[in-house]
Amino acid sequence: MIMREFALYIFHLAFFPGFIFLVASGMFFHWIDRKLLARFEGRVGPPWYQPLADIIKLFAKEDILPIGTNQLFALLLPLTSFASTLSAGFHILGTLTGTVSSFNGDFIMLIFLISLPSLLFFLGGWTTSGVYSILGGNRSLLQYFSYEVLFIMAISGTAIASGSWSLAGIFNAQSGSMPYITLQIAGFILSIAGLIGKLKRSPYDIPKAKSEMVMGPLTEYSGGKLALWKLADFLQTLSGIALIVYCYFGGLWLPHTAIGYVIFILLMLTIQFILSIISAVFTRLRIDQLIDLNWRILIPLSLIHNLLIMIL
Amino acid sequence: MNKMIQKIRSFFYLLPRTLSVFFSRSVTRHYPFHDPEIPERYRGRVNINENNCVGCSLCVLDCPASALELEKESKSQFRLLHYQDRCTYCGQCEDSCRFNAIFMDNHYIRPAFDRDDFFVVLVNRKEV
Amino acid sequence: MSRVTIPIGPQHPLLKEPVSFNITLEGENVIDSTLRLGYVHRGIEKLAESRSYVKNITLFERVCGICSHIHTTTYCQAVEGLLGLEIPRRGSYIRMLLCELERIHSHLLWLGVLAKNIGLNTVFMYAWRDREIVLDLMEEISGGRVSHAINTIGGVRKDLSSTQAKKILADLPVLAARVRELLDIVNNDRSFKARTQGIGYLSTQDVYRYCVVGPVARASGVGVDLRRDAPYAHYHEFDINVITMQEGDVWARAIVRILETIESIDLSRQIVEKLPAGDVTVRANRKVPEGEFVSRSEAPRGEVIYFVKSDGTQTPKRVKVRTPTLTALITLPMQLEGLQMADVSAVIAGVDLCIACADR
Repeated sequence: MIMREFALYIFHLAFFPGFIFLVASGMFFHWIDRKLLARFEGRVGPPWYQPLADIIKLFAKEDILPIGTNQLFALLLPLTSFASTLSAGFHILGTLTGTVSSFNGDFIMLIFLISLPSLLFFLGGWTTSGVYSILGGNRSLLQYFSYEVLFIMAISGTAIASGSWSLAGIFNAQSGSMPYITLQIAGFILSIAGLIGKLKRSPYDIPKAKSEMVMGPLTEYSGGKLALWKLADFLQTLSGIALIVYCYFGGLWLPHTAIGYVIFILLMLTIQFILSIISAVFTRLRIDQLIDLNWRILIPLSLIHNLLIMIL
Repeated sequence: MNKMIQKIRSFFYLLPRTLSVFFSRSVTRHYPFHDPEIPERYRGRVNINENNCVGCSLCVLDCPASALELEKESKSQFRLLHYQDRCTYCGQCEDSCRFNAIFMDNHYIRPAFDRDDFFVVLVNRKEV
Repeated sequence: MSRVTIPIGPQHPLLKEPVSFNITLEGENVIDSTLRLGYVHRGIEKLAESRSYVKNITLFERVCGICSHIHTTTYCQAVEGLLGLEIPRRGSYIRMLLCELERIHSHLLWLGVLAKNIGLNTVFMYAWRDREIVLDLMEEISGGRVSHAINTIGGVRKDLSSTQAKKILADLPVLAARVRELLDIVNNDRSFKARTQGIGYLSTQDVYRYCVVGPVARASGVGVDLRRDAPYAHYHEFDINVITMQEGDVWARAIVRILETIESIDLSRQIVEKLPAGDVTVRANRKVPEGEFVSRSEAPRGEVIYFVKSDGTQTPKRVKVRTPTLTALITLPMQLEGLQMADVSAVIAGVDLCIACADR
């Protein structure tokens, strides 16, 4: 009996909504993003195995770092980012499929786990010091301070409206009545904006854009460590989108049914479409325009939005 | 009112265009799977009408890349050699020839592994 | 605040060709920058002294990739001036047609590169897709997409057949409609304007002081265009519209170049419609008499000057080339002062750099 339970745990951790499934889904969503961006420009786009081929190729390359970097930190930072986003993804998908039960306060834990890689991104640039890494790291830190706050405030609107800090509580509060997307459309738009800032996608692309600071903090990484950063990025995207779908579209599917999974995946694909089309249509904003936009327009809007939710 | 619509539309000006490109065919030419359409005047390969060549070596003098060579023993025994890997495919030889012998056709030369594959003997005239 | 020096060095994802800027930043603003050239110097002017006039045509075509036809045109005009030849009208018209098509090609390529450096990859791909129409036309006429090799001393090598003329007249309106859409985007899109307006300012006095030529000068109010002011090769038979703007920033340069593209499309259509009959080439001697000749023309980036000095033999004594990019490069450290780091990429892309031309 114990052996069977143990084997089931290992199966869940390693395969089903665990390591292999999460990495495969992260790669799938990354492929969808690249294919959509290519189609918006009129190109064909990469085949389905492209992200997998990229990661395998990166693991086969040589791993050099400049003299004077702390080798332990340079390995620990990408590994920790990967681990934290993996845990966040496991928790969300586990709650969806019923293998993990949602506890009170797991919403806050998920927000912390999803935003940890952004901080470690800046620290990664700081350890491998080089001109481009440090300057890119400074910019990414500025962006991190601004857009994390926006994301947390916007998505807390759902938690406030539902009255609980657990994913299951948010879901149950929407099952009886309308999903929150209809009541909190402004919050939805603001949390999408915050998500774009967190994931460092265009138009908030400054830390990673090649024509600005070569590759920002990740300039000096190569080989397996760069593959881990990229995997952390894929999983951060996956977890961020899944969190938004869970919080805003809660009542639209019945839990633990096949049709529920299909609807969840379709909603995630819709949000990925929105993210890609925003990337294709806008130019990259300058760092002062970014911060200006955030602190003058978006955060006051989210403050007003949360106040209205608390009153009504 | 019109100005207001203009102002809002200027934020998302590219959006309708992007969506219309998304729903139409891609512009990429699927090269290895479909053959490319090579126009007639494409400068692909140096070719020769053997009977017209008299061995005057005007093309050899004018070639900017020194890709042509004439080994002349007498008026009716000579060889015209062409090094395809030095050639820039500019067409100057075709322009300099007064006897309509050497010309460029649009045959595409494929890459090869060995340098000797690019050495061509254009004319090999022997005494009769 | 501490000062940091960033190398936007010979190799950088921002640049197409190797040139070295060392930018000194204080906080977020650029204080100083230094410029180093010479990474692509190939010694072309010295090489030209030991090769014959005919071999030099192919050599001067390779000074620059994008403006290759205009370099050979100017060189052939100089040598024809020394020989005292006058080329037939039909040959001259075909030369002008390819010059205009090359101008369209160069401006569309530049628009794509500017959009890519700003972050708008979509406009990059749209502009380069429209450039394919022009490249296909040039391949049909001359045999190569970028290296045309259609000029020779005494005229043009290949004639324009009537099917090619029909194809040109059918394709040009399609291209004109697409370039007008691109003009709409540059004029109206708010995020494009937010990244390009107000940066890289060049005043009219600075244009006169540093002798800047080309679209950079025209965007600052100095309306000089050699096709109208010192016409070469039968441009005096056409009505050239010189486009100037007063703002002098990167956005004004974009507008000037796109409007020039539309003007060139119209001009190409007129050239094909008015093409006269006749020969396309005249026989030229190999030995050029002694003398000196200066010939000028309007490349996509400005004014190109060729000075050819001959001493009576089959090889020239001295060929001196002055390309337009050098004048714009010298003003670049001045334009970069006071900007933020993120604007550097837009300004460097806004001055259309062709380092291969500048270094020779």
